Amino acid sequence: MTFLRRFFRFISSMKFALILLVILVLVCVAGSFVTQGQTYAWYTSRYSERTAAAIIALRLDDVFHSWYFILISGFLCLNLLLCNVVRLPGLIRRTAKEKTSRAKLGSWGAWVTHVGVLLLILGYSLGQFTYKEYVAYGVPGQSMAIGDTGLVLTIDDFRIGLREDDTVEQYTSDITVYDIAASSEWKKAQVSVNNPADIYGYRFYQNSTGWAARISVDKDGQSLQDGVVCAGDYLTIADKPDLVVYFNAFYPDYVLVSGSGPSTLSGNINNPGYLYSVYYKGQMLGMNVLMKDEVLTIDEYTVRFSEPQNYTLLQIKRDMFTPVALAGGLVVMAGLFISFYVRQPRRKEEDASG
Amino acid sequence: MLQVENTLFTIVMISYFSSMIAYFVYIAAKREIIAKVALGVQIFGFVLHTAAIICRGIGAGRLPLTNQYEFATSFAWGLCLLAIVFILRFRFHVMGAFISPVMFLMIGYAAMQSKEVRNLMPALRSGWLGFHVSTAIIAYGSFGVSFVLGIIFLLRDKLREHGFLDQHIPDRQKLDLIEYRSVALGMLFLTFTIITGAIWAERAWGSYWSWDPKETWSLITWLIYAVYLHLRIRRGYKGKSAAVFAVVGFVCVLFTYIGVNTLIPGIHSYK
Repeated sequence: MTFLRRFFRFISSMKFALILLVILVLVCVAGSFVTQGQTYAWYTSRYSERTAAAIIALRLDDVFHSWYFILISGFLCLNLLLCNVVRLPGLIRRTAKEKTSRAKLGSWGAWVTHVGVLLLILGYSLGQFTYKEYVAYGVPGQSMAIGDTGLVLTIDDFRIGLREDDTVEQYTSDITVYDIAASSEWKKAQVSVNNPADIYGYRFYQNSTGWAARISVDKDGQSLQDGVVCAGDYLTIADKPDLVVYFNAFYPDYVLVSGSGPSTLSGNINNPGYLYSVYYKGQMLGMNVLMKDEVLTIDEYTVRFSEPQNYTLLQIKRDMFTPVALAGGLVVMAGLFISFYVRQPRRKEEDASG
Repeated sequence: MLQVENTLFTIVMISYFSSMIAYFVYIAAKREIIAKVALGVQIFGFVLHTAAIICRGIGAGRLPLTNQYEFATSFAWGLCLLAIVFILRFRFHVMGAFISPVMFLMIGYAAMQSKEVRNLMPALRSGWLGFHVSTAIIAYGSFGVSFVLGIIFLLRDKLREHGFLDQHIPDRQKLDLIEYRSVALGMLFLTFTIITGAIWAERAWGSYWSWDPKETWSLITWLIYAVYLHLRIRRGYKGKSAAVFAVVGFVCVLFTYIGVNTLIPGIHSYK
């Protein structure tokens, strides 16, 4: 037997499949215990420098996108494909010999399951390479372009549905989307958690929310600029671009807890506090909390925070291969059902002998 | 209703404990009638357990499948259901002596959890919740049965020294077949759990697979049972090697449920 033939037999064998499955299990276990997607500095803060270096070197920080994970998955696909191809002629012959349609179908269980797993891996992998994802956030009345999609999103309304005990029941955004390139009609939709909306080939998800506030800047007593800024964003002073006011966080019911810093007593706007920091040419000049009606003075500029409100954060995604992965999952289900419950005559005998 | 559920839950715990003791007495006393009593007590506990879960659902005004307590009690319920089905289907009462401690431990774990009824966060308010969790209960229950059968298979030679057990434990081939049946049922339902979970995750979080620890461990569990199914059809590996994987698989199930929620935080950590 030539080397190539032996190699082919090995990579299409069940032995190879079992080896790959066990390795895949071990890799997944490692990936579940090591927090994924962090920096070297983050790992050194959790583990020793040696361990952190090993995590980075072995790509344990991003196991599921590592070369070895892709290689194992690739080999598994190859093994499944070859196994199915090799078994196909025999299966067809066996099916032809079976007398009942149940027995004919029963022979195909494992083969169909393998096809499903292949479809699943294929759909997921192609989706990972081709999906497009964007994030858009703002308060009602704001419009924004969504990345390079050619779509313009307007947030018409955003509501947080609260229960009697103040727990959140639902987040809902009313949106309008316009396709610039197609000059098509404006499409209106409602998006809430678990209820995404499909518009112009993209799926809009209600992702999260946060606080925003109006920041007004006066210069020598004259209004210079004014705009709504979300917490986590910054405002560049219009006529002095090196001067930046960063809106760090908002505390609707501000309280200073000794030892742990600013906090909020509730979600209600009873005592609003705005945590800000000021930067000049990239250097932080200071950080503090502004309370209601307080102003921040920087040379000739006066900065005021007001009108706190919730902003909505939407996730916009297009993954053309999700239906392929879903179809794969359903085929796996069908294959397993055929394998286990549409019994072949041989299995019946086995049962009887048991 | 929640008060009624509380009372029923206590009776269920006592029933499961009594049934476990009755199964032990059955093996010690070697009297068939005691096995029937043990099974009767188990079925009585199961009926009350079903009533307790229904009361919880009515009291909470939603499906009682969302926090550690609710899933733990449902897990024990699923385990009890599948145990009853397999004991009756294969007339294998000795299995009761092995599975009742697992059931009792699981309901004991549920008893240690907070029974407080909390409102659901928006991501959990989905029609997919029922499909996803109820299929997981059946899958986990089936794997619990296969775990016990795996243990019996591995201990079979030692147990044979006890003459009574030798007569009441099926031969290797049949034991392996019953174990396969429970894994097959569990595998089918686990696949359903993963797929419904993926569909739900796509709608709630915008991604059907995020390699969250819970997702990863459910995949690990699926892969372990896939290894089991492949080993079983390989000559020389059927039986003992497959039984080892049936045991390891259930350890993974327990880790997916308890370990991941408590040791590895992620988006599934709804405590």
